[in-house]
Amino acid sequence: MRTTPPVRRVVILGVAASDCHVVANRLIAMSLVEAGFDVVNLGACTSVEAFAEAFAARPEAECVLIGSVNGHAYDDLADLPAVRRRGGLACPVVLGGRLGVGRDLAEDYVTRLHDLGVDVVCTDAADLLDVLDRLRPVRDEARAG
Amino acid sequence: MIGAVADPLPPVEDSVAFAVSLPTPSVAERLARAASSGEVLLQPRCGVGDHVGMLALLRRLEAEGEADVLSVTIDSHTRLGRFDVADAVRRRDPGDLNGYPLVSHGWRRGRELALATGRPLEVRHGSPVAERLFATSVASGITSFEGGGISYNVPYAKDVPLRRSLESWQRVDRTCGELAEQGLVVDRELFGTLTAVLVPPAISLAVSVLEAVLAARAGVRCVSVAYPQSGHALQDVAALRAIPVLAERYVPGVVVHPVLHQFMGQFPRVREHAARVIVEGAVVGRLGGARKIVVKSVDEAHGRPGPAALVEGLRLARQGLAVPADPAGADDAEVATELGHVVREVGELVDDLVGATDLVGAVVDAAADGRLDVPFSPSTSCAGAVLPARDERGGVWIRDFGRLPVSAQTRARHAEALRSSSAVGAVSTLVDRDVHYLLDRFGETRESVSIVSFGPADRGRPLPVTGA
Repeated sequence: MRTTPPVRRVVILGVAASDCHVVANRLIAMSLVEAGFDVVNLGACTSVEAFAEAFAARPEAECVLIGSVNGHAYDDLADLPAVRRRGGLACPVVLGGRLGVGRDLAEDYVTRLHDLGVDVVCTDAADLLDVLDRLRPVRDEARAG
Repeated sequence: MIGAVADPLPPVEDSVAFAVSLPTPSVAERLARAASSGEVLLQPRCGVGDHVGMLALLRRLEAEGEADVLSVTIDSHTRLGRFDVADAVRRRDPGDLNGYPLVSHGWRRGRELALATGRPLEVRHGSPVAERLFATSVASGITSFEGGGISYNVPYAKDVPLRRSLESWQRVDRTCGELAEQGLVVDRELFGTLTAVLVPPAISLAVSVLEAVLAARAGVRCVSVAYPQSGHALQDVAALRAIPVLAERYVPGVVVHPVLHQFMGQFPRVREHAARVIVEGAVVGRLGGARKIVVKSVDEAHGRPGPAALVEGLRLARQGLAVPADPAGADDAEVATELGHVVREVGELVDDLVGATDLVGAVVDAAADGRLDVPFSPSTSCAGAVLPARDERGGVWIRDFGRLPVSAQTRARHAEALRSSSAVGAVSTLVDRDVHYLLDRFGETRESVSIVSFGPADRGRPLPVTGA
């Protein structure tokens, strides 16, 4: 039973800067809306800067979800450290989809994405709701503290 | 600008002289020869970031895959005009690029590609604004250039205004006209495949008709119209056979070749299943009268395919072309009926537009208010109000027409086709089912690899905290 009134959960969603694939993006947006989320969907070809602006406009968002299908995630997110240093995107950044161009480098890809500042890597959209639920208490705790 | 990106292009006469002096035929010549002999040409998609690797890839696909036409598939940074990013990534690690950065490598290396094999080349990309890549491609002796002002904007970009891309491609097409005057016919393949997932045939063909009319008016002499395999043989054969009918009606006098793009949606992961889809695609292409088939690989579901998977795809397609009977079950009378419907639907979508004196302006306006619409488009130039759906045999139809100006007969036909297809459930579930149609058909589950990694938290750095 809830002890506080239900708050509409907000997430920011979009596809990485060089990537125009939107079918998965639309499906994820639809399923998050159906799960009760308020989804700010920035769609395809979204720069780190544009994600930061969207988060600045909706700071109640729980996280930013960035999809990548074309394998360019690492270079598309190259500005993330600089944006974070300026204080932008002070929220978990989740990267989903295909992590790199090759097939057998998943471990290396995950490591270098984390090194860039990606907080969570999640290759299967089916895991997304779990990831969001795992991120939430971290946030609530930090806010309460 | 750095390196080859700054290398000035040679004079046009030099590029024409180089292209016509190549020992290989141009793509237009190869297609013409196939048209008279009745062959179906096979072409893989292929592109890696490294130049030496690209040369090796092309040679291997010629020698082992016996491809008839070879592709130079361009990386996404170059496609979007991020030439400096493509150049920097190529210098750091070309393996991080999802295609060949032709502008970064430059036209001198491009000519090495053109000389590397006995097969003509096509540049395949996705650039809404394409003049620079086109100029590099022509200077490289590459004789076919894929794309169009609608088909390379609406699926590939978010905020490039449609007018800008249409005007860019008008300049590309006018240059093709000028090159033809000088003796070099560049084949212009129109990307009817669009957003590649659940594209209704009439929408694909309507966009290609509009681009073909624009190209013809600009002086283009050779057009390839690409159609994406839906997965339903009757629909696919009828759509391919409709291409010459539409060409005769809308661009008489222009050489038009039907091209099949093998299934572009979510591919099965299991090798045998993928192989079956490739063979079936070749059968459908042959029955539909495709002059060329752009072939998928057995590793399609696993990211960019390696050379062995591309070679195997070409071999499987070649087997499909040799299948003697008609296992796809496409009955000629049924095909003719379906073809009549598709041609009528295309007319409903384009006839008001092609009559306009300012066709570019008419297309921009139609897209803005949804009279011309493409499902699942990332572009803000496009209404995106159309929702497609599959029938239970895999055919692609329109469930919600948005503001497409179609007749009551067309609406009724699509509704009837979808009558038995369940529309009950969350929209995301229905669309997900239709997108993953082939996986369900082969009994495959959705994803094979699931990685969830909470990086920084695991290393003792707290997750950044939302809000204040």
